[in-house]
Amino acid sequence: MAFRGTRDARDAGLALVPQHDLLIGAASVADNLAFLDPTAPFLESAPARRARVARVAKAFAFELGDAEARVDTLSVGTRQRIEIAGALASDPDVLILDEPTAVLSPDETAALFASLRARADAGGAVVLITHRLAEVFAGADRLTLMSRGKTVKTCRTSETTPEEIGGLLVAGAEGGIHPSKHAARSAAAGVTSSLTLTSFAPTGSRGKQISLSLSPGELLVLLAIDGNGADTIARAIAGLEPFEGDVVLRGVRLPGRGDPLAFRAAGGAFVPADRREEGLVAALSLSENLALPDPPGRLFLDRRAMLSHAEGRLAALGVRATSAASPAGSLSGGNQQKVILARELAHPPRLLVAVHPTRGLDLASAAAVRNLILDACGMGAAALVVTADPDEAQLFGAPICVVFRGRLTATVAPATPVPILGRLMAGIPA
Amino acid sequence: MMRGPFARRLAVAAVAFSVAAGALVGLAFLAGASPVDTLRALVEGAAGSRAALGETLARATALVLTALGASIAFRAGVLNIGLEGQFLAGAVAAAAIGPAFSGSPFAARLALLGAAALAGALWVLPAAWLASRRGVPEVLSTILLNLVAAAAVSGLVRGALQDPAGDYPQSRALAEAVRFAPLVAGSRATAAILIALAVSLVLALVLGKTPFGLKLRATGLAPAAARAIGLPGARLRLIAFATSGALAGLAGGLEVLAVTGRLYDPFSAGAGYTGIAAALLGGSNPLVAAASAVLFAGLGAGSSAMQRDTGVPGALATIVPGVLVLAVLAARARQTGNEP
Amino acid sequence: MTGFLAVTLLLAAPLLLAAAGELLLERAGSIQIGLEGTMLIGAFAAFAAARSGANPEAALAAAGGAGLLAGAAFAAFAVAGRADPILVGTAWNLVAAGGTAFSYRLLAGATGSVLEIRTLPPFVFGLPAAVVGAFLVPAVLHTFLACTRPGLRLVAAGENPLALEAMGGSVVFVRSAASIAAGALGALGGALLVLTVSPTFVEGVTAGRGFLALALVVFARWKPLRLVPGALLVGGATALQYRLQAGGGTGIPYSVFLALPGLLALFALAAARGRGGAPKALGTPAPRRATSPRPP
Repeated sequence: MAFRGTRDARDAGLALVPQHDLLIGAASVADNLAFLDPTAPFLESAPARRARVARVAKAFAFELGDAEARVDTLSVGTRQRIEIAGALASDPDVLILDEPTAVLSPDETAALFASLRARADAGGAVVLITHRLAEVFAGADRLTLMSRGKTVKTCRTSETTPEEIGGLLVAGAEGGIHPSKHAARSAAAGVTSSLTLTSFAPTGSRGKQISLSLSPGELLVLLAIDGNGADTIARAIAGLEPFEGDVVLRGVRLPGRGDPLAFRAAGGAFVPADRREEGLVAALSLSENLALPDPPGRLFLDRRAMLSHAEGRLAALGVRATSAASPAGSLSGGNQQKVILARELAHPPRLLVAVHPTRGLDLASAAAVRNLILDACGMGAAALVVTADPDEAQLFGAPICVVFRGRLTATVAPATPVPILGRLMAGIPA
Repeated sequence: MMRGPFARRLAVAAVAFSVAAGALVGLAFLAGASPVDTLRALVEGAAGSRAALGETLARATALVLTALGASIAFRAGVLNIGLEGQFLAGAVAAAAIGPAFSGSPFAARLALLGAAALAGALWVLPAAWLASRRGVPEVLSTILLNLVAAAAVSGLVRGALQDPAGDYPQSRALAEAVRFAPLVAGSRATAAILIALAVSLVLALVLGKTPFGLKLRATGLAPAAARAIGLPGARLRLIAFATSGALAGLAGGLEVLAVTGRLYDPFSAGAGYTGIAAALLGGSNPLVAAASAVLFAGLGAGSSAMQRDTGVPGALATIVPGVLVLAVLAARARQTGNEP
Repeated sequence: MTGFLAVTLLLAAPLLLAAAGELLLERAGSIQIGLEGTMLIGAFAAFAAARSGANPEAALAAAGGAGLLAGAAFAAFAVAGRADPILVGTAWNLVAAGGTAFSYRLLAGATGSVLEIRTLPPFVFGLPAAVVGAFLVPAVLHTFLACTRPGLRLVAAGENPLALEAMGGSVVFVRSAASIAAGALGALGGALLVLTVSPTFVEGVTAGRGFLALALVVFARWKPLRLVPGALLVGGATALQYRLQAGGGTGIPYSVFLALPGLLALFALAAARGRGGAPKALGTPAPRRATSPRPP
């Protein structure tokens, strides 16, 4: 069967809950459910729309909250329940969910899986797209492993083991950590502090004030489910959000109004979560991107210096690009991330703040990016890495600090088992 | 705004220009005149004689400078639609202090043009403040400032600046010695056009070849990335915005100094908006934008002559830049692939 | 004072119609800063129709038709063609100003005499039905956006275009439809100027009202019902300006009154706390349908 558009697919009984947001943030829950309902009438009063919310919430035993609440004020879990309820409202034969748990807490995930299981047991087909093995073995009947658009393996979950699938997943990827970097880190420790936070809190955060200190060469992983404020902590340190309290970078106190220039001047480097929007200037060439923020040249640009600098950096990092003159936007995500690190690490920083540095990258690129961060620590930089992935957090081999609702709730060793990390991330004492 | 190799840019311009020429012939036909005669009158009126060429260059000064103003703003990501108001602010400043000067022409001109540029730069400040403090898009605030500037000119030439020697709504004339003299006899072209062309060269160098230019372009292309990288985005945008206003103000000052000699109402025939069209046609590249502005000035001079000679309405000078821009936008939309 | 009130309503109606159309288009995620040009086209279409013997009602309808075409043309460039709407709008103003001036010269010849047309007949309180109708438009628009399915999809096009596409809708279709409606409303607003206030066409007869209507949309924070007080404020200021001008000798500089509507809108912008309420996807191009998945 071939579908020419989403409408064909829906008419055939398919319903998709995509990874991207499906809701109208400025509209109410009632309006959003009406929007998601293909059978909604042309004219519908506000009470009729509210009645739909009550009906759907009851039919699927979903907690959808206040029908009049603006959707952009709700938690991601509630927003996702609204999307799933909207998809279920048309009673599809097949429900497809793309990475539904990426932004959910373990509790919310468990609740979601219970309702999916119930639907499957009642005879509905559910397709779950995920990169988390645990989820596959927690509830699925069958699995299909895909890599780069090709099917690698299809079988019943009872016929295989997480270990086997895990092995297939990482096959061919360059993994592991340079052991030498650990030595460098401990050797550099004990020198003056690279980063000191005292009574620090991003402005408007609901968390408690944070105090911590990082020595040169020291790496700290901030592990948190999205929406718990770890991103904001990192962005505030980098001067992209205002904050209260003190941030001292190698003896320089940063202004609290949010000043990326002051952060940079004090020796800070930053790898943003959104590389397309904040990482690179897609329309400028690689050499121009690598020359920012301080292009060489007194009166006129020194193009020759820019080009040789760029070629050197690109070759050193193994970035595959036709030339340093090609636009940065033409690179793949993994290579873009390497270019961002090449720029950030051009002058060895005193502090590197990286937010989800490997998110969305293939395994080989992710390993390369991790090693670049560890190399920087080896050269004496302190590093703060934010991630939402417990497996990823462990791979840095550094202390993991769990952030829950804006607070640093626990600091644990990298070898802490993933289930325990998961409980901590959800705010449950381990 | 427009990227890519020079040749492709030129090809787009050629396509757009033929569309505009077609529109022109069609309009002449509508007006019941012979397209051949109309075109001949147009071309001869724009460049057929020393006087015609002089007329084109005299008109070009303001358009080149407003086009440059639009270009630098657009490259920094500032949508300054208020060049018309900034042009008027510059003209008001020049007309206000101009009649007081009679001594050394050089010092007088310098003071006048400086005041005009300053007035143009100051006229962007409300919009810059609204944009940075309130998040109001410059598009809206600059458009409103245009309305206010036009109203101010209308009031000033009937009030504070009115020439006491007559009843006309116009300001006192500048002393002949202060005004720019024609470069050659029998032509209205003055040194003003040389100033405008020199500014376009300088701007091209600054944008394309200096570290400041690269930082400015990066800010315009990707504001969020520029901020995260550590570029002073707000400052760069303000500099570009104020420079843009200063260039439009300079255009207004030069218009008074070299063309009109005084302020009257209505003073501008849409120089600010046509300048924006020239910048768009030139992809915000200072040199191409300046060339487009000269082209539009030729259209203006030519269509006046055309109206006189053939009776075809001269509004062509406004229609054709608009049609050209639309044609370029359409051609560009076809060229660009998946990236918006 | 009833005279003053009637003039205020007469002056507010064109603004209200044009602003309502623009609000609809902006809620759908596009923006037409060439509204001034669309109003000019409407004014000229009404004038040309009336000069060709049409009665005022038919002239109004002709303007509406011209506006539909104008809206479709804008959509072709800025929505389907995905050109920057700000640039299209700037060019649009030039083409409309030049085009209407050109056509007016052809129609009027070189005589330079004022060509009068008949105005719309009064309906209630000395106001034509179209003016009264203009004040109903915001309410209709409010109901459309709040309580209908197409209204909801239009809001989605302006807030979250990808969601609309995922629901099987077409952002290009929704924004184009909004643009066509906005074109018609803008042109009707322009037509009201020549069919009520001053019964003739002159070049640039709209005198910046299209720009004021743009500011009104921001002033109303993209909520249809809030357009009414804004339009009345600007209409009232303009009426006051006419009255003081006619009275003469007020001691207040004439230019202050010319600048007043612009200044009021600027202060309104300064007070409105910025983009609060602006559609999230305002001015962004419609998403392109994915043809093939991108490699990671």
